[in-house]
Amino acid sequence: MSQTPHYSHHEDLTDALLAFTQLAREGGLNVGIEEMIQSKRAALAGMIREPSTFYYSLKGIFCTNEEDIKVFNSLYYMFWQDNSGRAKEEQEAAPKARNKKRNTGSMVVLGAGNALEGEEDSHNTSGASAQERLQETDFSKVSSIDAQMLEELAERLLKQMSMRLKRKMKTHPRKGAIDVRKTIRQNMSRGGEPMVLARRSRKPRKQRLILLLDVSGSMDKYSFFLLRFICVLQAHFEFVEAFIFSTSLIRITDSIQSPNLQENLKRLSRQADNWSSGTKIGECLRYFNENYAKRLLNGSSTVIVLSDGLDTGEPLVLAREAKKIRLRTRQLVWLNPLKGNPNFQPIQRGMQAALPEIDVFRSAHNLRSLLELESFLASVI
Amino acid sequence: MNLDISQISHPNQLIELFDQQGYVADLELATIIFLLFRLEKPLLLEGNPGVGKTEVAQVLAGLLDTELIRLQCYEGLDVNAAVYEWNYQKQLLSIKIQEQSDLSLAQKEEHIFGEDFLLQRPLLKAISSTSKAPVLLIDEVDRADEEFEAFLLELLSAFQISIPELGTIKAIQKPHVILTSNRTRELSDALKRRCLYHWVSYPDIHKEKQILKKHIPDIEEGLADQMTKMVQLLREMKLNKAPGIAESIDWARGLLALGYKEINAESLSSTMGAVVKSASDMEQIQNQGLDNLITRSEAQ
Repeated sequence: MSQTPHYSHHEDLTDALLAFTQLAREGGLNVGIEEMIQSKRAALAGMIREPSTFYYSLKGIFCTNEEDIKVFNSLYYMFWQDNSGRAKEEQEAAPKARNKKRNTGSMVVLGAGNALEGEEDSHNTSGASAQERLQETDFSKVSSIDAQMLEELAERLLKQMSMRLKRKMKTHPRKGAIDVRKTIRQNMSRGGEPMVLARRSRKPRKQRLILLLDVSGSMDKYSFFLLRFICVLQAHFEFVEAFIFSTSLIRITDSIQSPNLQENLKRLSRQADNWSSGTKIGECLRYFNENYAKRLLNGSSTVIVLSDGLDTGEPLVLAREAKKIRLRTRQLVWLNPLKGNPNFQPIQRGMQAALPEIDVFRSAHNLRSLLELESFLASVI
Repeated sequence: MNLDISQISHPNQLIELFDQQGYVADLELATIIFLLFRLEKPLLLEGNPGVGKTEVAQVLAGLLDTELIRLQCYEGLDVNAAVYEWNYQKQLLSIKIQEQSDLSLAQKEEHIFGEDFLLQRPLLKAISSTSKAPVLLIDEVDRADEEFEAFLLELLSAFQISIPELGTIKAIQKPHVILTSNRTRELSDALKRRCLYHWVSYPDIHKEKQILKKHIPDIEEGLADQMTKMVQLLREMKLNKAPGIAESIDWARGLLALGYKEINAESLSSTMGAVVKSASDMEQIQNQGLDNLITRSEAQ
């Protein structure tokens, strides 16, 4: 582009609006000819007479969420800026949008690294693509600056996921086979005419999900995010039981129930004096089997172990206890963050010992891999 | 009030009209409402709970002196609850009555699937209104399932509804549609593109004070001042549930009912339940110290 796009380069309103729509689309807004027509109608309805009403009109037509507004502001500022008659408020809004852009730049570098930070033109990195990359980033490689962004993103996406899962479980009150016997019985008082149809549907079996999270030193970087994942599951499903373990096992189901997650995490890290120390997976599973298994496990429950399998205990114990769990449950799932590495081989002693007993073996090293568990969880719950 | 929308030529007139109805609107909102009339497009209002999204629709209905038809969305909301339902009992009775008549099967069928047997739910009601265009409020649309969202598309773009037994019903008077969302999930692009969009944020100190005075005319200047500052501070504190405008109005009413003239540790602690709605938030505030909090809010 030889010159910055500006309305003064265009002959009439239609041309200028077309160019602006084009610019907005390149900037990442989901707009097209429809929006252009709408904005022209708005302009002709008198909104063009004042800068502020014109700005508000285009904003209402072009934006579809809060994030769009930031992108829109900077584009609007560039294209429609007239050095005299602009409302002050918009001038303030525009620099903010630019700061935002710089932030996403650092996320890009952090992610796949195929975009340069210095790239500064209208083809800005849209929020969506930066988020995409952040989802792919291995938890252990997230810098502290981006950790918060990732946290926010994780919270939002995981919440959406659990909402979808919840919906899938719902049975429809009006669906199900007609219960003829009950229908006749219920309609006796109406002379036997079937006015009200009684239906029956299968009562959903209550299935438990048991999560065991490894919080030992080697899992340090992952356990924080995985715990968050557990909290989300826990917050939305009543039948989730959660434990953390390293050298000993602690039940955390109750302590993560209160709504304030940050507080929970702080309290948990105080509570677990063994947080980030050595691992005795076998011993911990044995403790679980002895104390909780009978109460929690039945034929339809699923146990998910989140661990890298770096075990300092006796592998034979681990193999034996893992087998015990498998026999009592429907599925034993092992999520290993190390599996995200393409060169990963399950050669760790602990991992090798447990592998024969595992039904599902998957990775859990970034947000994407956690979100991909949705389809699996939907079949479990 | 009976308002002819074609008479309105500038959003400023709307600000004034909204003001008469007790709603403090800024130019941005007024512009969008103006476009809602002119472009005949639905308006999607997003924002935190308690910022007055729903009230926009109520005020609009009052302004136009027309019916407000409200559809509260919830998980599992389906076509039968939102659009139409056949009156099965009446149909069965009618079949029974007609048993002896010599109408043909086709005639009988036509009869029981007539409009007499149709129960109108909000969406159908909104487009079959004959007298005056109603205001249709689709509240908290983010709570409904995605399938339902897809169903809304036909209504929102063409203002028509297809009923298999009856055919397509087209709106006689295009309703003014307002959708609200708390953003608990992202709405589909298809739905959003059919709507005008407005993000309703928390008001600034000045606007909030205006709103308070509008709702509670006999509130004293000093108290309103103190209150708005405190509410602004509470919003910055990252509570689980930040107080909305509705909360601050409740709070003001509470303070006045108890006869408090100013905010001090005593009045704050006895009326805090009106603004702070969770135990952990209360705890957080107590930990900071009420006096400390009051000093900080005054310093703003």
